[in-house]
Amino acid sequence: MNAPFKADPLKEKTLHDAIKRATGSIAPTWPLDRMIAVNPYWEQISHHFNQVADRQSRLAGSAMTLPLSYYQKRWIDGTIKAVHLQQALAEFASQSEDFCLSEQQAIAGLTEQDTSPVPPPLLGDTLDQMRDLQHEPAWCDTITHQVSQFCAAWFDNDQADWHPGQKKSTGQGSLYKSWRKTLTRDHSVALLMKAPGIAAKAKTLSEDPVQQIANTLQDLQIPEAQWPEYLQAVLMRISGWASWAAYLGWQARLEGQEDHTLTDLLAVRLSWQQLIDDGQRQQGSVWQIWQQQWQQHRQTHEGVNPLHLIWQRAHEISYQQQLSKRLQGKPHPLGAQASVQAVFCIDVRSEVFRRHLEDQSDEIQTLGFAGFFGLPVSYTPLGTEATRPQLPGLLAPALHITDTCGNAAKDHKIAHKRRSNLNKLLSWQPFKSVPASAFTLVETLGLSYAGKLIRRSLPDEGELTSGNSLGLNKGCDLQPSLASSGGSPEQQAELAKKVLTGMNLTQGLAPLVLLVGHGSQSHNNPQRAGLDCGACCGQTGEVNSRALAKLLNDQEVREQIAQLGIQIPETTHFVAALHNTTTEEISLFDQQQIPESHQLAVNKLQQQLASAGKQARQERAPSLGLAELQEQPDKLLKSVRQRANDWAQTRPEWGLTNNASFIIAPRARTRGIKLDGRSFLHDYSPQKDPEGTLLEQIMTAPMVVTHWINMQYFASTVDNTRYGSGNKTLHNVVGGRLGVFEGNGGDLRTGLALQSVHNGEDWQHEPLRLTVVIDSDRVTIEKILSKHDTLRQLADNRWLYLARFTPMGIEFYQGDGKWQVNC
Amino acid sequence: MSHTIMSHTVLSSLLSGWLLPVIFFAAFLFSLYRPKKAWPIARVSARAGLTATALTLAATLASIFILDLQADVLSVTLMLLVALLGWVITGFAYRYLQGESSEQQARFVQSMLFTLTSVGLLITSQNLLLIALAWAGTSFGLHHLLTHYKERKAAQVVAHKKFIVSRLAEIALVIALVLIYQTAGTLSLPLLNAFISEQPSLPVALHWAAALFALAAILKTAQLPLHGWLIQVMEAPTPVSALLHAGVVNMGGFVLIRLAELISLAPVAQAMLVVVGSLTAVLAGLVMMTRISIKVRLAWSTCAQMGFMLMEIGLGLYELALLHLLAHSLYKAYAFLSSGETVAQSRIGDFFSKEKKRHILLSTLFSPLLTLAVVSASVILWQTFTPDLHLSSAVTLILVLGLTPLFWQEQQLRLSALLTATVRVTLLTQLYLIWHLLFAQLAPAAGTASQALMIWVAISFIALYSLQTWIRLWPEGRVSRRLFPWAYNGFYLDETFTRLAFKCWPARLSPQQAQTRFNRQSQDTRYSNSHQHNLGDRA
Repeated sequence: MNAPFKADPLKEKTLHDAIKRATGSIAPTWPLDRMIAVNPYWEQISHHFNQVADRQSRLAGSAMTLPLSYYQKRWIDGTIKAVHLQQALAEFASQSEDFCLSEQQAIAGLTEQDTSPVPPPLLGDTLDQMRDLQHEPAWCDTITHQVSQFCAAWFDNDQADWHPGQKKSTGQGSLYKSWRKTLTRDHSVALLMKAPGIAAKAKTLSEDPVQQIANTLQDLQIPEAQWPEYLQAVLMRISGWASWAAYLGWQARLEGQEDHTLTDLLAVRLSWQQLIDDGQRQQGSVWQIWQQQWQQHRQTHEGVNPLHLIWQRAHEISYQQQLSKRLQGKPHPLGAQASVQAVFCIDVRSEVFRRHLEDQSDEIQTLGFAGFFGLPVSYTPLGTEATRPQLPGLLAPALHITDTCGNAAKDHKIAHKRRSNLNKLLSWQPFKSVPASAFTLVETLGLSYAGKLIRRSLPDEGELTSGNSLGLNKGCDLQPSLASSGGSPEQQAELAKKVLTGMNLTQGLAPLVLLVGHGSQSHNNPQRAGLDCGACCGQTGEVNSRALAKLLNDQEVREQIAQLGIQIPETTHFVAALHNTTTEEISLFDQQQIPESHQLAVNKLQQQLASAGKQARQERAPSLGLAELQEQPDKLLKSVRQRANDWAQTRPEWGLTNNASFIIAPRARTRGIKLDGRSFLHDYSPQKDPEGTLLEQIMTAPMVVTHWINMQYFASTVDNTRYGSGNKTLHNVVGGRLGVFEGNGGDLRTGLALQSVHNGEDWQHEPLRLTVVIDSDRVTIEKILSKHDTLRQLADNRWLYLARFTPMGIEFYQGDGKWQVNC
Repeated sequence: MSHTIMSHTVLSSLLSGWLLPVIFFAAFLFSLYRPKKAWPIARVSARAGLTATALTLAATLASIFILDLQADVLSVTLMLLVALLGWVITGFAYRYLQGESSEQQARFVQSMLFTLTSVGLLITSQNLLLIALAWAGTSFGLHHLLTHYKERKAAQVVAHKKFIVSRLAEIALVIALVLIYQTAGTLSLPLLNAFISEQPSLPVALHWAAALFALAAILKTAQLPLHGWLIQVMEAPTPVSALLHAGVVNMGGFVLIRLAELISLAPVAQAMLVVVGSLTAVLAGLVMMTRISIKVRLAWSTCAQMGFMLMEIGLGLYELALLHLLAHSLYKAYAFLSSGETVAQSRIGDFFSKEKKRHILLSTLFSPLLTLAVVSASVILWQTFTPDLHLSSAVTLILVLGLTPLFWQEQQLRLSALLTATVRVTLLTQLYLIWHLLFAQLAPAAGTASQALMIWVAISFIALYSLQTWIRLWPEGRVSRRLFPWAYNGFYLDETFTRLAFKCWPARLSPQQAQTRFNRQSQDTRYSNSHQHNLGDRA
């Protein structure tokens, strides 16, 4: 890094700190084909939720609760009751001494006029106020457009066919440098905004991004103390692309490298402040008016209204009480000996299906485990280069696996054939993409699109396909396999042991063990991966479940595991399966490998799965607007299947909406209790984990993932403009997969579409911070918290609520070693 | 005897093709009357439209082959297209827009039915005044669809730009109609054609009229430099884009094909179409290569394709222009409606090798010759069966240059790849010739174009082929780097127009629409009367 203030090391440090504060507050966003949930406030969890709400309101104009009218509705319909409000008020009173708001005032406050927060003004906004915006384009739109289009072109690898100077090897180096160079030759802004000096002015910008940041701060005479705030406010104006740059940084860190793209982006957005500055500083100059507005915003903007936070908390308390009550209900007992064990993902959508599957027979036991089944893998379909991670975004893959048919020579042949098939397909590409061929393409093949239009307009009940088979000839019997990672049987057994221990399946294995991954089925949906398995990095769980089943059925591996102290009975067979969360159907993989002896049991199980699916669909029907089909299961199934194949469907399923709690406990505690598809469920038995090591694993990985999901839905609901991706009908995919624009352009949009959380009449997601209920003792939980800063911050700063089972009821963690029973 | 007359009356009323616009218009009126029932009305009318079209088609085929009557096959062909698009887009939008307020959905249905009525009227009418009115009607209907999300500033600005361009086109149309009426004393197409054929040479006024029609078509098909509105209309729901790009923007081409007999005799109009069309085809094609978002890329592609279609009309190749119009409509409707599959497409792209392989220079030089050989052989073969088949040299050139990339080879020359390419080029050529022959039956007889225009087109397409190939061969080379900023910025054409539009004929934005998200509640007194708390825009 350069040293912009060589003479002044103190100032230098202030600058670097300020940059770090701004860039360090941006959470990453994954590309659309791996659209996993992220807590957009993740980098700010070291501060209390309420503080961050305040800062987001002041520096980004972003709300962290819904408008008061929402809570008013909940108050009127009785969801939030007086007790909940009283408890919320009491909590606030205990946190701050000068807090004095009575219950009456809080209720009266609901009808007060609500204001949505406004971001702090930048120089461009002041300029815009002086322009006649009915007759001229606004600066702030133009700047966003310029930066956003440039970023899209810079990061795009899939869409444009022509973009020189993008690769690092060709010398233009970084985002900032390339942007600067482009701008020196770009006349579009100058033409549009009647600002002919832009290109010339761009030449005066420093070549170094950090130096440029320093220059702008000095030119605009920002006091040192305000640098962090100012830089943060600037970066929040392009928060979508900032999240993308943060993703590049995240990936670089996973690979042990560094990436400065985010600083570059800050320099780019900040430079615009300098480019539009006319240099005048006297009374009445634009700069001077802006300075006044900026200072005024800092001083007078009250930040977040405590009423919002109180009602938000009261809403959460109302859910927590309801949950506590349900968890104290009497769970259904499990039969003496399970004939089937089915391991599901912790996903809230599994809860509904599991409940109905268990209803079929008391010999069916279901378990909850992260849907990547503990396999830290990336997967490459045989003979291709389409490598993709199949594990949570928090982790880097440790193993690389591919498919096999069980015979290396045959595999080689299949791969060779596939490559040649793919090459044949690829050679269409120039004809389909170069402009001079486009006309011929239309005049030869164009009419055939009539067939496609008709076919896709007609109802279709097709099944979910894996999408891994492109270029494969029919009849290739391939299965993803851990053996392909090159690990020895010992290493594989070691992994198998770890997974079985984590699943709580070290003894009492049933003859049939189902490993159920999940995937969604939707078409023409850029955000489809957001409905797939988050623990598999936005893929379906197919690869992981099949690979694990293969591993655990392997005779050699079983022998090795036996030596490690785990006996897998010879009568036990593992079957991989996929839960289609859109249609609530479960299909079994690799059925030809099921031994004759298990065939009868499998047939029976298939029937049970089918009727569980029927009940699960019935439960979900009203939310899909299909309540009238609830009593007609066949029609309902047909309708749901058609929905899954409908290219015009913006709400194929409701995904993880309404998620609100995570229960880490043996299923015996919740079996038969209706949790409305709002709870993540992870199996855990404290008796088998006296040291708390398993719990530690669960809290550091799956719990963080559930928190990310919870906060993604939360943020996409409370501020869909910034942390959601707006209206799906306007979605315009950028760079093939980078993200979407809403309409022509604007900033990159991150998070969930409005359609994913809102049905047009009301929010389908209740934004509630996650309640984590653990079956463990206080000491173990607190020990884990003290070991992991992140976890402590999450709990202490109220990003989630920790609770535990006690004989008296559910006890909630209050911070600083305090617990309180809630009833 | 009376029986035959009756069946003839039924037939001719079917043949006239009025059924489709009448159905849509009735549905439009009904949806105004019962906005709550807008969707059922739209869906029933879309199905009725399809049925009516099927009947018309059957009647037409019957009358041609059995009764040996004249029929307006051009109109029937377009009816098929519009009825199909109407059915697909209505069905799509019905499910796509679920959840929006019922008023908004009703407004959408009404505007769409009005637009479809106008398009239906446009394609069936034989009267120039009706055609012009219907053409203006499509523009008005579309304006409401483009501003479906009223609160979106960009949508307003863009709809306004389109509004200006359309009104300019209509001024040209009005003048053209006056000229035609003064000269020929009629606005009926058959009478006008009869009048033209009686004249020894085309009267000057009709030369002007033809040029004005060409100008109107150029304006309404979003040709450079007034193309900006087409590129930026992603501010409306996807089905609106599909309808616009597949069913409305191409009507300029249709009107000119209708006027083929006039256009064929008007060299100025032809030259205008060829020059503007081919320039747009080439430049918009280059810009398309640089686009980074799917819908904008598709829009530039439409712009180029429309240019190509106008160019074909200018060259008198009406059968190809008609084929292009239809094929492009279907292709583009599908491309827009399925634009959500982009991510899935990128995932498919991952299956292929990531390293960008460079084509062999030699193969890009020799492949046109190979393609030419295949194409010529095919044409000669076909000519033995159908002696009428004739491809002009410009058409052959474009076809050859278009198919050539199938012969491009990567890394090393391989015989198997060469074979695959030969098979593909051969098949595509046959397909091309089949369509060519089929559409020659549907479209007006080919006109003639001057040698100069042919040469201009040849040069344009050789230049485009060379440039695109050069860019692929040397993506980081000097030519590529120098040209890129121009293409990336759309050759700076739209910025100028936008500024002029803002200045001369500003959009009537409400003060609130004019505000930016960040200065909504500012202290600026100018906006104090519109101080509103924007809770609404979050819900």
